[in-house]
Amino acid sequence: MKKIISKCIFAGAALVASVSLACAQDKVSVAAISGYFAQGFGVSIVNGLNKAKTDFGIDLKLVDTGNRALDYEEQFANLAKDGKYDLIFVMGWELVDALQKASAAYPNQRFVFIDGVLDSDKMIYANFAEEQGSFIAGALAGMIESKGSAFDKIGDGKAIGFVGGRDIPVIRNFLGGYEQGSKYAAPDITVKPVFAGTFDDPAKGSELTQALYNEGADIVYNVAGPTGEGVMQASAAADKYSIGVDIDMCSTAPGNVLGSMLKRGDIAVYSLIKDEVEGHKVMPGTRTFDLASGGVELKVCDDIAPKIPEEVKAKLDEIRKGIVDGSIKVAKAK
Amino acid sequence: MSDRLRAVYGQLLAVLFALAIGAIIILMVDESPVKVFMTLLRGAFGDQAKIAGTLLQTTPILICGVAACIGLRGGMFNVGIEGQLFLGGFAAAWVGFALPLPAGVHMLVGLAVATLAGAAWVAIPAFFRARYNTNEVVSTILSNYVAVLLTSYFTIFLFKRPGGWSETPPILPTAYLPELFSFSRLNWGLVIGLVLALSVAWFFRYTSKGYSISMVGSAPKFAEYGGVNVKRQGFLVLLVSGAVGGLAGGVETLGVHHRFMEGFAPGFGFDGLIAALLANGSPIGTIVTALFFGALRSGSLLLEVETTASREIITVIQALIILSVSAQVLMKRRGDSTAGERRWKF
Repeated sequence: MKKIISKCIFAGAALVASVSLACAQDKVSVAAISGYFAQGFGVSIVNGLNKAKTDFGIDLKLVDTGNRALDYEEQFANLAKDGKYDLIFVMGWELVDALQKASAAYPNQRFVFIDGVLDSDKMIYANFAEEQGSFIAGALAGMIESKGSAFDKIGDGKAIGFVGGRDIPVIRNFLGGYEQGSKYAAPDITVKPVFAGTFDDPAKGSELTQALYNEGADIVYNVAGPTGEGVMQASAAADKYSIGVDIDMCSTAPGNVLGSMLKRGDIAVYSLIKDEVEGHKVMPGTRTFDLASGGVELKVCDDIAPKIPEEVKAKLDEIRKGIVDGSIKVAKAK
Repeated sequence: MSDRLRAVYGQLLAVLFALAIGAIIILMVDESPVKVFMTLLRGAFGDQAKIAGTLLQTTPILICGVAACIGLRGGMFNVGIEGQLFLGGFAAAWVGFALPLPAGVHMLVGLAVATLAGAAWVAIPAFFRARYNTNEVVSTILSNYVAVLLTSYFTIFLFKRPGGWSETPPILPTAYLPELFSFSRLNWGLVIGLVLALSVAWFFRYTSKGYSISMVGSAPKFAEYGGVNVKRQGFLVLLVSGAVGGLAGGVETLGVHHRFMEGFAPGFGFDGLIAALLANGSPIGTIVTALFFGALRSGSLLLEVETTASREIITVIQALIILSVSAQVLMKRRGDSTAGERRWKF
């Protein structure tokens, strides 16, 4: 703090008055806490935070929670106790209990919970319409699967697969969108979902994916965090298809990844910090990041795109428009 | 110098060595070791809430440490405390949410069932050890994986609270292990741990049964010659060690979390084992070493927030301590093989 003040005095003396005016405002401080910054969605969030740091010169602190539930509450208390941070971003459903306690203990601290909406009205929620992106993923997978052996690497199983991490609401929401999309675009295709029960076990992800391929599902949608690395590997090993999630995963198994359902955590955190820096204080409530605002989207891999039939592409565009203008309603999972 | 003094001196040296290497690593990530160690201290003992936080972290390490001590003294290397803790934790939580009982009784029944679950879980490796002389190190390590995944299965597929994280429904307040202070989650589990450590120390020092167990641990052939049923005693030692491991899990669910979450307390079983080894199998010594590890862990939580060094630095320090303690044992074993044998029967 002292440093900033002395810098400002110096700047004020040396430069024009407007600079010292800018300095008089407190620099925005942001912290982010999660156990999953090194993976998929977490990487996307860290990218957004770093971009905000470069663009706006905010103070940024990343805190890794590790995986011991015993530690969470103290970590929240350590972050919130001085009121040093304007916003604290929180990612991960395992932190919800500790987050709610911290929010009650430090009512003036603004917490941003990424990836869902909780009961409390004291927090800011960055909510993603993952069901919309998954709808398109389901539509794509369904239409490709229904081509049967006319499409490279597809069999006659008439099924598509889904590997979820844990059975929690947000993952159910992915599954719900995927099922609705598949049903909408290819009604004769069945969806076979499995849950790994963990986000941290690539070997299990690989096993489950192999089992789905054996059951005739030729395309498997990975919604399983690090467990999902196994899904991508299995698609390469079995020479079938996978669909990535959160970030662009096309390079994990080139030729075997149809596309990735991008969940733009970076856009969400960046836009929230931008508002804060520009003086629009972020207040408790829900911000939804959906297909229309670019918060979610399906990116078809560049090496696959030329193989996809024109009528499928046209249908996907039509669905995209339908979701954005509201003529196609995608239900959230309850 | 007496043997005991020399052992303490050796362990202190190991800790100092680990801290010194840790300091070098901190320098390598461009942070000041002085700042890091001061933050660790402040995070562990800075104010009353921090001290309570340290004791909260100490509790499971201490109880798991006592479980390990019982095994080590009886010549049994129970590496399955982690799994016993998970099963004990789940069992206690199950009693807590599924079995309504009057206040007080409910909590005691929860702890008792946790203890039984821990003992039952180690009974399988213990049986094979006693009957077929299977190496209990291997079988108890393997049983950890089964235990963690089994409790995951229970939590996700059989008893999951609808919505939210993979966890059981909350336990009824009648089963809560009461908290000691209003400002912390620190609870009677710490007292249970301390009483347990003291009574186990007393048992080994002043009872003939304790003596006979120590004898089996240090010189099994001699004990057998003296008329001790070594196999039966080894079985019982593992059973009691596992029971205490289960109790550690029960204390965590009834005292802190008030429900069972999948993967709720990874690593405490191993932390306890390390604390016991560093204390050379002494329950009183384990109180000190568990407090040391608890303080490291608790301090690291502030470290992560206030410095640029990672919380994981304490994992590195812990690993260095293990390395230097094992190195000592190996060096000692060269000079005096029986002393080495007595400490760890690898």
